[in-house]
Amino acid sequence: MVNENLVQESVKEPYKYGFVTDIETEKIEKGLNEDIIKLISHKKEEPQFLLDFRLKAFKKWKKMKEPDWAALGYKKIDYQDIIYYSAPKQKEKISSLDEVDPKLLETFDKLGIPLTEQKKLTNVAVDAVFDSVSIATTFREELAEHGVIFCSISEAVKNHADLIEKYLGTVVPTSDNYFAALNSAVFSDGSFVYIPKGVTCPMDLSSYFRINSGDSGQFERTLIIAEESSSVSYLEGCTAPMFDTNTLHAAVVELIALDDASIKYSTVQNWYAGNEEGIGGIFNFVTKRGKCLGKRSKISWSQVETGSAITWKYPSCLLLGEESVGEFYSVALTNNLQQADTGTKMIHIGPKTKSTIVSKGISAGNSKNSYRGLVKMGTKATGSRNYSQCDSMLIGDQASANTFPYIKSQQPNSEIEHEATTCRISEDQLFYLQSRGIEFEEAVSMMVSGFCRDVFNQLPMEFAAEADKLLALKLEGSVG
Amino acid sequence: MEIIEKIKTNKSDNKLTEIQKICLHKLQSSPLPNPKSELWRLSNKSKLSTFLDYSVNEKDSKFDIPYPKNSQSTIRLIIGENCQIKLIEKNYSIQQLSEDELQKYIKEQISFFKQNENWSDLLNLSLSCKNNILGLKINGSKIPPIEIFSHASSNSLDAKTLVIFLEKNCNVELLQVNLGKENSSLSQSTFFCLKENSSVNHGVVSYGENRSNLLNSLNVIQQKNSAYNLGSLHFKFNYARFEISIKQSAGNAKTNIKGMQITKKDEQISTYTKIEFNGPNGFLDQINKSLADDKSHAIFEGSIIVPKIAQKTDASQLSRNLLLSNLAQIDTKPQLEIIADDVKCKHGATISQLNEEELFYMRTRGITLTEASKLQLSSYFQEIISFIPISKDKWDLLDKLLNEN
Repeated sequence: MVNENLVQESVKEPYKYGFVTDIETEKIEKGLNEDIIKLISHKKEEPQFLLDFRLKAFKKWKKMKEPDWAALGYKKIDYQDIIYYSAPKQKEKISSLDEVDPKLLETFDKLGIPLTEQKKLTNVAVDAVFDSVSIATTFREELAEHGVIFCSISEAVKNHADLIEKYLGTVVPTSDNYFAALNSAVFSDGSFVYIPKGVTCPMDLSSYFRINSGDSGQFERTLIIAEESSSVSYLEGCTAPMFDTNTLHAAVVELIALDDASIKYSTVQNWYAGNEEGIGGIFNFVTKRGKCLGKRSKISWSQVETGSAITWKYPSCLLLGEESVGEFYSVALTNNLQQADTGTKMIHIGPKTKSTIVSKGISAGNSKNSYRGLVKMGTKATGSRNYSQCDSMLIGDQASANTFPYIKSQQPNSEIEHEATTCRISEDQLFYLQSRGIEFEEAVSMMVSGFCRDVFNQLPMEFAAEADKLLALKLEGSVG
Repeated sequence: MEIIEKIKTNKSDNKLTEIQKICLHKLQSSPLPNPKSELWRLSNKSKLSTFLDYSVNEKDSKFDIPYPKNSQSTIRLIIGENCQIKLIEKNYSIQQLSEDELQKYIKEQISFFKQNENWSDLLNLSLSCKNNILGLKINGSKIPPIEIFSHASSNSLDAKTLVIFLEKNCNVELLQVNLGKENSSLSQSTFFCLKENSSVNHGVVSYGENRSNLLNSLNVIQQKNSAYNLGSLHFKFNYARFEISIKQSAGNAKTNIKGMQITKKDEQISTYTKIEFNGPNGFLDQINKSLADDKSHAIFEGSIIVPKIAQKTDASQLSRNLLLSNLAQIDTKPQLEIIADDVKCKHGATISQLNEEELFYMRTRGITLTEASKLQLSSYFQEIISFIPISKDKWDLLDKLLNEN
């Protein structure tokens, strides 16, 4: 028989990334107004078009209302009480990693990020973003040989302004939603990836986001462009220290795939989730969207969401190109007082487009885990197909699991299938495993891992191992 | 505010019943449902205002019942026809609820009303005059089938209310038929209370004519060990909403729902269901089918709510949709809200057109395309129609659906 207490105990696991790095940072004053935006733009030596972009977004943001349709409850955010720019102080120009503040490198080492080039064997190029600023990007030369551009977005603004001007805001317009508008106005850094025509990126690209200050928001922006017949796999990881205050994270990710291109975007999100009483934690309001512009292009989102006090995130695909493909694989684990409202949007516009959604939600403690998704078949999406599967698992009788799939079809010659189930850890299966000599907590962990298998299979190898470990960590602990 | 003025000008204040006054008061704060709320955002605003355009009719007018009464034992009632019923037989009794009972029950229900969720009920109860409210108390067994008719006359807005108490251990077959005449609006609200161990096979057939509109709401409260089976069919309405709210007040009850809506031309028909389990061991099996053709729009939104108390709930919901034209559209949103952990809940949704392979197979066997499509449609319809408690010899609904349009 399942002992409720055992399960409850087994999902308690301290947050191991909760340390703060004592490092000198450069911050601007709290609050948001046009002058602050101009200051950010000035500090980053941005061209006029970007400043105009920011100011236009800010104008729109002022007229917008914070959305309240999600099944989330949280304290009202005071947008004037946030620092919109915070950067670790560093030497003027960095020619190699040796010149980066060793404390910073130490932090990344603690986080287990293969930032230093000694770890070349891992074959992952990393762009690390600390608070608001990108610290270092590795493997740049090797990537440059293939024509791949992988740098921070501020660098890209300086060196590849034409690409930024052409693509920034084309997938997520400034007026898209409240948090996207805010991000567009104040984004400080993020990653930029450009894969030229016909190139398969020789290694996985990775960004590591770290919030270090308690009172500054993080607003990063990622833009990935995959030219014709190119392909790339991009990984993203996030952690933050433990603070009693709530920190706002409002990111925007834009992906563009042209003819025959493919982008795989994987996230392991482990922001600090707040303590057991729900104090502190990151408010994670993220807009992620990919545009399959070209024929036969493909965008695949896979995510493992275990952190954040509040998660509001709907990675979406706009399927414009004929025969383009959108995929969404997600595992969302919530515990204690965490709240997650996450899902995807698959907008089928072009003919013969296909999309797959696999979402697994696990709710434990007093948490709230909602899947919210939209599948839409436009009038021109003939011969298109969608398949969605949303499974929820409940651990304990205090957690809640909700499913809100919106399905809309305007095209008779298309097919949509959706199915959702909710269950708890099967007692029979637990009993069977225990009767074979497997410890209770290991059995729970095995079953959760099995429940999420469909999603883990889609993650890049390195991430899959990390994700599996992360879930196991959250579900293991004081039992035994 | 127009609607409130309309009700008031129709009657002087002192002629309004207490319930009408309460509901009018509630409507005054927000006379129309919030168009941004989840339950109303897809509703066609201009169609809703057409619904409200007709003048309120409280007089009774004759209408043709779509099929003859072929069994003497069937009990047939028409709401608004001043029908008095008091049947006390050996095995059963059917009596009208006293005015006090009726008022007490409706007032209690109103206290739970929410502005957007129960807007249709508020409108109905503020429009329904005494003659148009029928309250029944049914008791006993071997009760003959009951048929209840509501109708709206041409160029008018009619409001009819039905309240039914099903006493303990009672089981009954009840068919409700809502008929809309050309250019008419019908507001129908039904309140059902199933006491312990009672069961009902409830059929709702709403059948309109050219440009008729319908707001049909159904509120069911199920006590322990009761069984509620609902078969519903809505078709030929310019604009129709079917709002179902079912509460299993102490769990341990069974609910089966099979509903269908068919839209053609530029019609819009929507079904909203909300099933709440307020106790353990509840059971739900629900299927909703939509068929949208021409330029029409069919909507289904179903929510299942399982709070912590409702352990061992077994609920399933399926939304199956056929989209037959390039200009038609279907929206469906089956949703689950679950807190109890020891539950089995699932839902599914599909949208497609007629199966081409099956059509091809039938054509290779010499069946014409039209006939093959009809065959497929008839099997699609049959699952729902067979669940509606009306015999084929009385009213051949399948034939009507396949041949009339």
